[in-house]
Amino acid sequence: MKSFRTLSKLSALALAAGALLTASPAAAQRELVIGVTDALTGPGAVFGLPQANSVQMAAREINAAGGIRVGTTTYNLRVIQYDDKTNPTEGTNAVRRLLDRDNVKFLLGFCCSGATSAVASFIRREDAVMLVGNAAERAITTQGIPNLFRTRPPADYTGQAAGAFVARQGPRRIAVIGSLEVGLYVQYLDAFEKEFAKSGGTIITKEAFGLRDRDMTPQLTKIRALQPDALLVIGYVEPAAFVYRQSLELGLTVPRFGFTSGSEEQFLRVVTSAQMEGVWDLKPTELTLESASPVGVRFDANYRAAFGSSPSPSAPYAYDQVYVLKHALERAGTVTDTRRIADAIRTATVPPEAVMRYLPVGGQMFDENGQAYTSNGAFQWRNGRWVFVEDLPSDPVDYSKFLRSLRQ
Amino acid sequence: MVEVLQQILNGLTIGGVYVLIALGLTTVFGILGISHFAHGSISMFGGYVVFYLVTQQGMPLAFACLAAMGAGFVLGIAVERLAYRPVRDASPINAFIVALGLTMIAEGANLQLFGADQIVIPTNLQSVFRIGALTLTELRFYIILLTAGLILAMTLYIQRSKTGYAIRALAQNRNAAILMGVNVSRITMLVFAMSSMLGVAAAVMIGALFAIAPGVGEGLAIKGFSVLILGGLGSIPGAIVGGLILGVTEALAAGFLSSAYKDVIAFLVMIIVLLVRPQGLLGKHS
Repeated sequence: MKSFRTLSKLSALALAAGALLTASPAAAQRELVIGVTDALTGPGAVFGLPQANSVQMAAREINAAGGIRVGTTTYNLRVIQYDDKTNPTEGTNAVRRLLDRDNVKFLLGFCCSGATSAVASFIRREDAVMLVGNAAERAITTQGIPNLFRTRPPADYTGQAAGAFVARQGPRRIAVIGSLEVGLYVQYLDAFEKEFAKSGGTIITKEAFGLRDRDMTPQLTKIRALQPDALLVIGYVEPAAFVYRQSLELGLTVPRFGFTSGSEEQFLRVVTSAQMEGVWDLKPTELTLESASPVGVRFDANYRAAFGSSPSPSAPYAYDQVYVLKHALERAGTVTDTRRIADAIRTATVPPEAVMRYLPVGGQMFDENGQAYTSNGAFQWRNGRWVFVEDLPSDPVDYSKFLRSLRQ
Repeated sequence: MVEVLQQILNGLTIGGVYVLIALGLTTVFGILGISHFAHGSISMFGGYVVFYLVTQQGMPLAFACLAAMGAGFVLGIAVERLAYRPVRDASPINAFIVALGLTMIAEGANLQLFGADQIVIPTNLQSVFRIGALTLTELRFYIILLTAGLILAMTLYIQRSKTGYAIRALAQNRNAAILMGVNVSRITMLVFAMSSMLGVAAAVMIGALFAIAPGVGEGLAIKGFSVLILGGLGSIPGAIVGGLILGVTEALAAGFLSSAYKDVIAFLVMIIVLLVRPQGLLGKHS
């Protein structure tokens, strides 16, 4: 009798365990691969590497918190990353490898416009979702590509606000030096110039430098002879840092404004803090500890702990992409139907984990162009660090309409 | 006028660096007829070594430079012995392929050892000298001085020393030099060593003035070969004159014509010179 009772108990236990296993799909744990293509080497690496690191960091956080629950399955993220070397051909090859060989459906990263534009030109035809980060070339979101979204606002959205700000500071004759062969900087400058001209300001010269140029003394000597009221520097951090250093060495002590998005650490590799004192950076309100929310402060601390260096101010554009994707997958309830996932992104609100301060359009993070907007800000170098000084008035709704009007 | 003088001053500094690179290339080409493409990348290795010694080991810059130039000397010998000597008597295409391979190896090694980030060699030379309306940073002043010293030393060595005679003899007529008892293997090795040493000096200057990063060495080698063609292949005075002309032309072109076409204009001048004097400014008719 005793043995019968024991057997009954064991049978009941086995049945209960079996029932639990069938009824509890939480036990199904799978892997979801996301792909990153970014500039890990080359002139864009100052932006690309921190972006790629940020994606890794977000993926680790999500996995540590239990993964992404899609329907009845929980997914842990695995990141595959390739180097596009800031080169359109390399970028295209890297994405093709992700799509064709690694069977990846979610593409993140994309710091630099040349490589990103090359991928954007064919991504519409692919069964994939592309999330663009720091690449600010306007045309990326003027084509109405249904499966492409960008977290950083286009350059001219910021240039317009910057032009108005500089005009308020008083200079009337400005000399420009920058990467004027790069579309996004030209767009920033065009918008800047239009706004600056409204208050009677003029740009007296536009001098160019290449991505790999480090000797800007010839251009600055020419600018010095023109006696401008101020200098506007637009370009990647590294050449821009040399411009700031060499301008002072040549005795050009006018106010200096810039559009560079470099961190303190990146600038201080080239230029001393004293040489940077007073420089303005007029850019989207990216990560600085002063302007950051508690989420941003936590992001900064975690990044430093994980990678031993400070993140670039633009790094969170890619970090935020991962959380946008996470919530979209959970809402869409699928990891394979990219159309439904893209729809979920298009109608998404700003995720609570987002580091950047996005300005929603119609309550949603992305507008109908697939474009997200942050506020723009004026930052000034004071005593060794970027200090957030003020918001630059920006109207994302108005700009969104303008962007839509450019669609062919 | 002030602007012209300032641009010339700007151009002389970078021109001096081109001269150091071109001097190494021209001596190697003069003796062996080899286009040593890896010269820029190997030189950059020395620049990275200086950065490492200064920032990681706390070594004073001057000692770090001497150590790196010593390393460059040894590396030059190794390159000649291991890469070029085995193909010395083979068809010229073999040496050409070796040179291309070496460039890739050197660039790859730099990337693996020192990473993809640009590095700037730190110096304490922060002062700026003002001469009337002209400005010259302390760093540029020392670079001009050091470049002039190295060029002078190299010229005197080639012109006055016994080894210098042997180098020139070998460059002028290899067979006659061998018949006169010149040790070809030793001289060739020495030329590579000196060439790399000068290259390292140039890389340190680039690293302190601007930055060292992947690709910078290759760009510098291209400029070096342009100087060679401009001044005359195998000509030491040609390398000096060509380097300075290229540096100053770049500065003047950026200042007075268009900064967007700085390199294009400099190379245009080179093409014009070659149309008028195909053998280069100071080269001899073959």
